[in-house]
Amino acid sequence: MSDASRNKGPHDIGGEEAGPVDTIDHGMKFWERQANGLRSVLRERDLVRTDELRRAAEDLGEQYSKLEYFERTTSALRTVLLEKNLITEDELKSKMAEVRARFNVPDEMESPLKKGARR
Amino acid sequence: MTSASPPVAKPRYPSTYNPAPGHRFNVGDRIAIRRTFPPGHRRTPFYIRGKQGVIERICGAFANPEELAYGFDGEPKKVLYRVRFLQKHVWPDYNGPQHDTIDMEIFEHWLEPLPDTRN
Repeated sequence: MSDASRNKGPHDIGGEEAGPVDTIDHGMKFWERQANGLRSVLRERDLVRTDELRRAAEDLGEQYSKLEYFERTTSALRTVLLEKNLITEDELKSKMAEVRARFNVPDEMESPLKKGARR
Repeated sequence: MTSASPPVAKPRYPSTYNPAPGHRFNVGDRIAIRRTFPPGHRRTPFYIRGKQGVIERICGAFANPEELAYGFDGEPKKVLYRVRFLQKHVWPDYNGPQHDTIDMEIFEHWLEPLPDTRN
């Protein structure tokens, strides 16, 4: 393996071909605002750190570039909260089921991570 | 009542500046960025590793993000420098003016001294 690829994170793309840059403001979806708010509060209370979230996002590997920004940061937040035992997998699952029912989310909607894994 | 000095807005967040009494390098020192590729959360981009630059300023001492990323406290703090590089040195095919520079903030443990060729 060459120096250029050894332990290089998916975020470290300085100097690589990037194609055209999308400069359109796409705004934020409802869940993106919620997720952003949650992440900000947890950081403000020092329960999670920016560096931990960055590391968890970089650890997504190939998924990193397939996910959109808020999908990536939310996935990283999930990883860190589970790591620190601030939530458990079971608690997250039951809460997601509850929210899904409350918002009447169609069953066929699934996480982008799972969808990506099947591609 | 009037005052000679304009009112200064109280910053929302206190500055994290720390004067870094134990710094190894001084402004103007020539340094090289370590050409090493350790795994983990690293804040030094691949494209700058092995390149040579000059210390532009000492930014202060900060908790080490490479440790914070894994839930540790980041102590002892590491000295952060702003390092200036010539663009044509960093990017061999750089087309802009020969004197163009790029500044990057890099922690002390990524820097190696170079012989001083100023005079």
